[in-house]
Amino acid sequence: MSSAIAMGNKSLFQGLNLRQKTILIISFTSILLFAIVIISLFLAGNALPTNFESKNLAPSLEHPFGTDWMGRDMFVRTLEGLGLSIIIGAFASLISTVLTLILGLFSSLGKTADSFVSWLVDLFLSVPHLLLIILISIGMGGGTKGVIIGVALTHWPSLTRVVRAEIKQLKTQEYLHISKNLGNSKWWIATKHILPHLSPQILLGTILMFPHAILHEASVTFLGFGLSPHEPAIGIILSEAMGYLSAGYWWLAFFPGLSLLIVVLAFDMIGENFGKLMNPKMAHE
Amino acid sequence: MEIYESNGCRGGIQIKKNQWYLLLGSGLVIIVAVGLLFMSANNSAAPNPQASEELVAAVGTHGGEPEAGFNPITGWGYNHEPLVQSTLFKKDSNASLIKDLATDYTVSEDGLTWTVKIRDDVNFHDGVQLTAKDIAFTFNTASKASGQVDLSMLEKAAALDEHTVEFSLNDPQATFINKLAVIGIVPEHAYEETYGQNPIGSGPYTFVQWDKGQQVIFKANPDYYGQKPFFKKLTVLFMDSDAAFAAAKSGQIDVAEIPASYANQNVKGMKMVSLDSIDARGVNLPIHADTGQKTEDGYAIGNNVTSDIAIRKALNIGIDRQALIDGALNGQGNEEFTGVDKLPWGNKEAIFEDGRIEEAKKILNDAGWKDTDGDGIVEKNGLKAEFSLLYPSNAQERQALAVSVSEEAKKLGIKIKVEGKSWDNIDALIHSTPVVFGFGSLDPTDLYLRYYSKSYDPSNYNNVIRYNNSKVDNYLRTAITSFDPNTANRNWQLAAWNGKTGYSEKGDATWLWMATVNYLFIMDEDLDIGTPKIQPHGADIFGNILEWKRTENQANS
Repeated sequence: MSSAIAMGNKSLFQGLNLRQKTILIISFTSILLFAIVIISLFLAGNALPTNFESKNLAPSLEHPFGTDWMGRDMFVRTLEGLGLSIIIGAFASLISTVLTLILGLFSSLGKTADSFVSWLVDLFLSVPHLLLIILISIGMGGGTKGVIIGVALTHWPSLTRVVRAEIKQLKTQEYLHISKNLGNSKWWIATKHILPHLSPQILLGTILMFPHAILHEASVTFLGFGLSPHEPAIGIILSEAMGYLSAGYWWLAFFPGLSLLIVVLAFDMIGENFGKLMNPKMAHE
Repeated sequence: MEIYESNGCRGGIQIKKNQWYLLLGSGLVIIVAVGLLFMSANNSAAPNPQASEELVAAVGTHGGEPEAGFNPITGWGYNHEPLVQSTLFKKDSNASLIKDLATDYTVSEDGLTWTVKIRDDVNFHDGVQLTAKDIAFTFNTASKASGQVDLSMLEKAAALDEHTVEFSLNDPQATFINKLAVIGIVPEHAYEETYGQNPIGSGPYTFVQWDKGQQVIFKANPDYYGQKPFFKKLTVLFMDSDAAFAAAKSGQIDVAEIPASYANQNVKGMKMVSLDSIDARGVNLPIHADTGQKTEDGYAIGNNVTSDIAIRKALNIGIDRQALIDGALNGQGNEEFTGVDKLPWGNKEAIFEDGRIEEAKKILNDAGWKDTDGDGIVEKNGLKAEFSLLYPSNAQERQALAVSVSEEAKKLGIKIKVEGKSWDNIDALIHSTPVVFGFGSLDPTDLYLRYYSKSYDPSNYNNVIRYNNSKVDNYLRTAITSFDPNTANRNWQLAAWNGKTGYSEKGDATWLWMATVNYLFIMDEDLDIGTPKIQPHGADIFGNILEWKRTENQANS
């Protein structure tokens, strides 16, 4: 995928150097995603009104994504659904990052702490992820709140594992031993020597967690957990659309599905290009 | 468990494999969608592969596949034709009682002892004769099992001789006759726990096989005592309505039940049949305020908004039922005002004119509900006129009705938050929150259970609103114990509205009834389904299966 983008770049922005191109791609995709969130917040509530005079309309200029069986504009519904997805993604990433930081630094404190953290990570990873999300969201009483908490609380183990491995590697470094011999406390070493090295990992991990969280939110709502079937969430929209395929209403699945794909790929693109900036060695891969 | 790359230079996690599958999956959905579009473009219904005396159907018949199998004790055949079993009585297309297994019945003076004589020429599918003992066994077992049919009034059933059975009641309910018309008779000698998976009865069809989750096959009973069915083999497929529609389109099935939103579809070689029903959709409006009281299970009781009669009346007269039907039901329904309008026990005088927004607003205003903060929602003593309305998430027409009612209520200044939930979740909220219900039975006992004060039972939906009106109680009690149909019907009617009080909008406005839903079927053009029976809750398309046939000219082709 990255090579395709690189080739696209060549023809699109000639005259810019790689760094500028990367920054350009990041800003474009970020603006797109921000726009979706902001528009969806402005639209909040507009996706629900029904208009039975214009139901099941094929895409047109008035309704670019068509309308559904209750005459609701699919473009507005899709935007609202994506907005919700991105917000859930943001929550999940934020909470996961905080948890990762705490657990990562905690694991650097000693052998027992380290094995506790890796035990916790293994424990969470041993339960199928989707199942865990469903359990937590039902346990939290369902609804939007349940889905947000479920998705937010289950995405930290993989990032924690990466961070822990990084810490293990750092701990073999000479300067840490010297710093220790100089009498610095474990906490001091953790925050002053280890944390700065971790920040690129964590930043990238956070961005790349977005697509996971979004897809998990879509899966959970697709399966019918959490939100009510009349509310706009991308999973609900897709599962509802399935019922109308045999009637030939292809636009109900096509455009929302495509939009989800684009959003997820956009986050992936930001993450990858960000990686190039943070780690120039990789830019020439 | 997934294995994560701890690849330092990529610095993070990649999209996991299973998530790519989701992406691929949505891509696939898109492809299928486009494919179907092309298919529908050159819609050529294949010639029907089924032999003419075979019928393949995909119809819901209340909830689709019976979880516990085809066992009348656990509810199979309740409200619809059991096919495999026969009942003592049946209802004809006008809902009048006709005899099936029974030849005659008498009721004692006090209404407590019912004696039913039965035919002596009926055999079960395994060749054993059906006797009064089987009937007594069926009713005693059903009474103990406390299934879907309320048999609390039955003390015991006993066989007096081979062909006479006596029912002793503990309450002289004239409506007991309706129980005799819904419970299929099971054979005492072949009844066991797994009966529902391999049922033996005496009905027009014998059970052949049941592939769980897929289909059930019946074939005509050659020794049936009644009219022989035209269709020798009956296959009922269990599929979602959209899949059923697609299968009908491709000529794989002869009859499919489809949702109202498909009403405008045309399929070559098939006709659309829309059956009126008595299956009413209504909303319970809790009439008690929330005083912190809880049910035995710890569920909250009462609702501070709907407990105000002004709210209930305003909603009832303010919403436009025809608009709900045209929109939410795609025109496939009829206005409903009392829940039983279309039945002999419905009170025509309780029907009112709706869509009166200004009057509804005036009622609210007079009762002190005013919009003081200009947000379009009225308040009274700091309490906003706002409540949740639940619908079962798998019922599409209830979702549409709930959303539409919420929009209609907005015009009156009442905010209804719509929420879809599973029945398990709804059960916990039912005493404090309005829910979109469906009711439609040919047995007026339904009314008794819904409004009679002592019917309240936390384990089911009887009198969920805890309605308690002694006048209404009197009428209901008189009605259920009256053996003269005219007296009974008159009293059922008076319970709705006697000029002063009643459960209908003119009285206490206990429920918000909206519409009866039509049942929509798409079927082969040459299929003649005779005069369908009255469609109750869940529909009973096979109610008159014995009349079904293919029209002559096409049957031989």
